[in-house]
Amino acid sequence: MSDSDIIQGLEKDLGGKALELANPDRRRVFLKVAPADLLAVVTLLRDRYDCAYLATISGVDKGETLEVVYHFASRAANINVRTEVAKASPHVGTICPVIPGAILYERELQDMFGLVIDGLPDPRPLVTPDDWPAGSFPLRKDWKYERPEERIPGGKS
Amino acid sequence: MAALRTLLYILVYPGILFLFLYSTFCEWFDRKAYARLQNRMGPTHTGRFGLLQPIADFVKLMSKEDVVPNAADRGMFNVLPLVGLAVVSTAALLLPIWNFDLAAPSVTSFSGDIIVLLYLLSLPTLVMFLAAWSSTNLFSTVGGTRVLTMLFGYEVPLFLSVLSPAILANSWRLAEIAAFYQKKPLLILPNLIGFGVAVIAVQAKLERTPFDIPHAETEIVGGTLTEYSGKKLALFRLMLDIEVVVSSALLATVFLAGFPGGGLLGFVQLVLKTLFVIFLLSLIRALTSRIRIDQVVSFAWKVLAPLAVLQLLIVILLKGFLK
Amino acid sequence: MKFQIPIGPQHPALKEPISLRMTVEGEVIRDADIRLGYNHRGLEKLAEEKTWIQNIYLTERICGICSHSHATCFVQGVEKLMEVVPPKRGLYIRYLVAELERVHSHLLWLGVAGHEAGFDSFFMYTWRDREVVMDLLEMVSGNRVHYAINTLGGVRRDLDAGQKAKILEGVAVLRKRSEYYFRIGASEPSFVARIAGVGRLSKGQAESLCAVGPTARASGITRDVRKDDPCAVYDEMDFEVGTADSGDVLGRVVVRVKELLESYKIIEQIIRKLPEGPIAVRAPRKAKPGEAVSRYEAPRGENMHYIKSNGSEKPERLKVRAPTLANYPATIEMLRNGFIADIPLIFAAIDPCICCAERVVTLVDVRSGEEMAVRLSDLRRRAAGRGPNALPKRNAAWPL
Repeated sequence: MSDSDIIQGLEKDLGGKALELANPDRRRVFLKVAPADLLAVVTLLRDRYDCAYLATISGVDKGETLEVVYHFASRAANINVRTEVAKASPHVGTICPVIPGAILYERELQDMFGLVIDGLPDPRPLVTPDDWPAGSFPLRKDWKYERPEERIPGGKS
Repeated sequence: MAALRTLLYILVYPGILFLFLYSTFCEWFDRKAYARLQNRMGPTHTGRFGLLQPIADFVKLMSKEDVVPNAADRGMFNVLPLVGLAVVSTAALLLPIWNFDLAAPSVTSFSGDIIVLLYLLSLPTLVMFLAAWSSTNLFSTVGGTRVLTMLFGYEVPLFLSVLSPAILANSWRLAEIAAFYQKKPLLILPNLIGFGVAVIAVQAKLERTPFDIPHAETEIVGGTLTEYSGKKLALFRLMLDIEVVVSSALLATVFLAGFPGGGLLGFVQLVLKTLFVIFLLSLIRALTSRIRIDQVVSFAWKVLAPLAVLQLLIVILLKGFLK
Repeated sequence: MKFQIPIGPQHPALKEPISLRMTVEGEVIRDADIRLGYNHRGLEKLAEEKTWIQNIYLTERICGICSHSHATCFVQGVEKLMEVVPPKRGLYIRYLVAELERVHSHLLWLGVAGHEAGFDSFFMYTWRDREVVMDLLEMVSGNRVHYAINTLGGVRRDLDAGQKAKILEGVAVLRKRSEYYFRIGASEPSFVARIAGVGRLSKGQAESLCAVGPTARASGITRDVRKDDPCAVYDEMDFEVGTADSGDVLGRVVVRVKELLESYKIIEQIIRKLPEGPIAVRAPRKAKPGEAVSRYEAPRGENMHYIKSNGSEKPERLKVRAPTLANYPATIEMLRNGFIADIPLIFAAIDPCICCAERVVTLVDVRSGEEMAVRLSDLRRRAAGRGPNALPKRNAAWPL
């Protein structure tokens, strides 16, 4: 299937659910959907477009909203699905029932961006340590780190 | 005079001093052979050709801090290295090297001493298990259970294969067995299968690759000796080295016709024959990879034990034939 | 009787800190749990504050063994954003270094697999051969690791005729020795007994858990970015994708040795077909706004970078997904119902590059006033008990 075949197929199958559809480069398709349609779209991609392989899930902090991009790869092209949620209520449904390998990526999103993934089979934090303060999400744009002043014990400071 | 000779025997040759120096020399030989087989240098800088390396390691370990974990059983933990060392050194005294009279049995050479020697050589395994158990560390416990599981595998083939030449020589006394094969060297040949089985079983007893499962570094950190450090670890390593020497000397006595020729010639023969056996052990160590514990037991019972029984059968038939 | 064995964060089997908690019953593992986060360095956040050129330096240091793969993946994506097309000669040299790095990484892995299985002689031999590749890489780029040969728009160093001849010589020697290892790996009985049937991952499991690289290829899935999503050089080269059907550690050894032999073929083709011309073009300071997804076949699997630009000279978002992270769910599946003795082998079989898999911020809050390095203060705080303001631990039953 070439890129244009994929774009036409997606327009036909998704209809109104596809909010944006772009093909900026050879073998790269970007698709935007609403958070409520996410699971249905992912199931469709897995069944009909040979997208059983999820490369990763990226989060982007866009100020007022958080954008979540799911990167799928089929033999024909890379199909990237994005949704956007408001920072005030950052809830997204999990896609683990369809793609079991997504579990670690979704846990990382929870730690780093403060997204709440509903329905995760294992909602523990992945990369932050046990005594990490709650509410502190490192990859948000407004998170800053102040380096503590270096004190050498027993020496000149 | 006899008392002085016995004292010399216990303390100097082949007693503690000789064992210490000779076992470190054998460890150097083993490490050098292993390294050269792997296209590396091995010990090179300490002393000429790196000969002093094992002694340097021993001295370094003796000078390090000795840490005893809080939860460990203090009494056992502290005393076990000395017990192990005592056991293997006593085993060395029973070897027919110097102070024995073929006609008159004495304390160090009597009928049945081959059984005593084998028994004394299986005690270090028990010592290692108790060391692991008294360490109360998770990794040591797993190592300790593995040590005992291996014991179920290799003990029987070892006993059977070592006793076959004894049966052929019609005696249970090491000195007499060695004398028998010195008189009839051709009779060494029917015992070759037993020799092979014994070498493999000894490799398992000494916990060397492919049987170094109890202290597999990449799996259970240190295994049985995880919690030992400093002087205790030095004494344990010395015990393992002396065990290597005693086991290879046992194999040389029983399969390769002992060490005839009295003081000096006997010493030369001792060195040559034990180094030959140790070279075989190093060869096996360099050529194979570690196998799993269940594979050890199944290998021992499916391959080694039948071969040892076969050897026994050959010896019995030969004995009947020779009569 | 079940009890839990902690493997890590410090353990002789692991080259980098990671915590695996195994629930065992006798010698059989019933369950496994992976805890990440010991090796975080805050690279994704740091990348947002550095310019595009500085970020090449940063992405190269994500890992030591697969450094070139991260740098190349990043540079590929940024060149697409900036609409810069590097000259052919530059591309050929870039992927020549990539294949040499693949050879070096696979030889290293063969040695590590041998060491974890207890086969130290194999370990010594393969690492001796690795020296040949490291010398070639030093001759080409000046460094044994962190080659620093990429730049936006091409490469930084050129190859002359003498270097090309030396590379071909080195590859000939290595090819003979790799064929020897193929025979050993497949026929030395104690080694095969150790690794056959260990860490089995069926094809269906590998697909649903999104495994990548040799881990997936050993289960029969032909997934290789060099064939699926080829960039300029790979679709002009003639090579096969190595797969195996057994899905265990032996299959992974076989796949990696097959890849070694294919890499030698590719290197020879690159050297013979190397075109003349410049090695780099000038790239602009700022990238046009947009986003790019860049994929690259690192020695461990598929490396994926997602780069988003907002028209300035610094990236808006850089997301790195290293192959080892993608293989963790598959690893947990492989560890279930295995033996304790197989833990290091199974873990080493996915070729873990743990520092690749963890890059997000973890500079631990030093509220208690400790000024020492992160990990030490973390452990110290745990050992000394909790302070009055400390938050309740989320994993309270952690045995450490």
